[in-house]
Amino acid sequence: MASASGRQFRAILRKDIVMELRTKEMLMSMGLYALLTMVVYFVALSQAGSEFDPRTIAAGLLWLAFIFTSLLGLNRSLVHEKDQGCLEALLLSPVDRPVIFFAKVVGNLTFLLIVEALTIPVFAFLFLQGHALESGAFSLVPLVMVAGSIGISGIGTLLATMSVNTSGKDFVLAMLFIPLVYPLLLGAVTATNAAIVGGPDAMMVFWQGMAWVAGYDVVMLLASYGLYEFIVGA
Amino acid sequence: MKETGHTDTALEVRDLTRAFGVRKALDGVSFDLPRRAFLSVFGPNGAGKTTLIKVLTTLLNPTSGTARVLGLDVVDDAVEMRQRIGLISHNPLLYPDLTAEENLLFFAEMYGIDRPAGRVNELLEAVELDHRRLDLTRTFSRGMLQRLSIARALLHRPEVLFLDEPYSGLDPHAMDILDGLIAQVRNDHTFVMISHDLDKGLELCSHALILARGKVVLFEPREAIDEGAFRATYRSTVGMGVS
Repeated sequence: MASASGRQFRAILRKDIVMELRTKEMLMSMGLYALLTMVVYFVALSQAGSEFDPRTIAAGLLWLAFIFTSLLGLNRSLVHEKDQGCLEALLLSPVDRPVIFFAKVVGNLTFLLIVEALTIPVFAFLFLQGHALESGAFSLVPLVMVAGSIGISGIGTLLATMSVNTSGKDFVLAMLFIPLVYPLLLGAVTATNAAIVGGPDAMMVFWQGMAWVAGYDVVMLLASYGLYEFIVGA
Repeated sequence: MKETGHTDTALEVRDLTRAFGVRKALDGVSFDLPRRAFLSVFGPNGAGKTTLIKVLTTLLNPTSGTARVLGLDVVDDAVEMRQRIGLISHNPLLYPDLTAEENLLFFAEMYGIDRPAGRVNELLEAVELDHRRLDLTRTFSRGMLQRLSIARALLHRPEVLFLDEPYSGLDPHAMDILDGLIAQVRNDHTFVMISHDLDKGLELCSHALILARGKVVLFEPREAIDEGAFRATYRSTVGMGVS
């Protein structure tokens, strides 16, 4: 049974990756959106003057961009499944619902991490040039990105499944997702801020933020796992 | 696997109710269908036909009541049951950004089919789409999609086939292929077909069921049906003309 679930998990993930590489719908829209957000930030902060230190708000700006970028991707990931009733066909096959859930989460996580990996260098180039960064602490930023993105993909995949059948699915997903992702945002911004700004207590603050994010990931993944079967059968 | 061979009943439906909010799409539906029977389900739009199929194929959970397919409960034994049923819908249920072959190979993996390439080749030939195997299905016509959808539904050799308006939107050639495939497997499979076409439904069926407002209005074996009376019942009960 475990091997059957593993085979089905790999099949769903491979199918999603093949379709995305073929259409590039999610990666293109998410990547362009993230890039445009960086440009908007740059224009908005260009008049802030030389006294202003963008590192103090960098973590918040980054996570704001990631949250809205992920909304775009999450919506699209389930729209693929709704085309021509594909989700029904998937649900008709002898697969445990959590296998579908985890395959979708990993697919969404992969695409989100690719976009984040492309966004961070652009962000650093536009906003952090010429500002001192503690290389040791800054190298921990990818760790927060991965941990935060796991939570975003977990709860986002569940909510996207719930909202995909509603008439205003984009709006419904945003209305459900943003309040629920708020605790994650709090921990992720705290940890990222500590990694970027540094300081004497930076590592302690960083790990406190990371613990908060990790706790959120565990709780939300377990809750989503438990609820997924109910939601697709409701 | 559960011992289900002892029963000669394919479908056992008892007081099946499915509500969406306060509206009952199915309201106390009960019937039994023997194995290798062909049930045609008739009724106007909104009668609950598609909801019935969705509950029987485990896509929706019932609000109350029970349904068993091949002795397996649609809620408790859902995963095992899905291995033994297939659905041909008016929706193709295929990924438009995968090729015909990739679609079938994907579902073959989901069903754990041995030597999937051979089975996929066999079915692509049966539905006359082997020459388009490497084309994305988004380039297919409606008829071609439906033919590929038939191949997808038969991939794992299901014992019970659910057909939700399968002839909808088909060209005559695709209709002939579907008729041929049904005829090939007719004797050793159980069928449940939703249809708005009384002539086609009565021609194929061994049992007929009329649903209206979520309730069973009539359920009879074909030999007990007087066609004139059946059409009159259909018209009067559901308040619409006969197609």
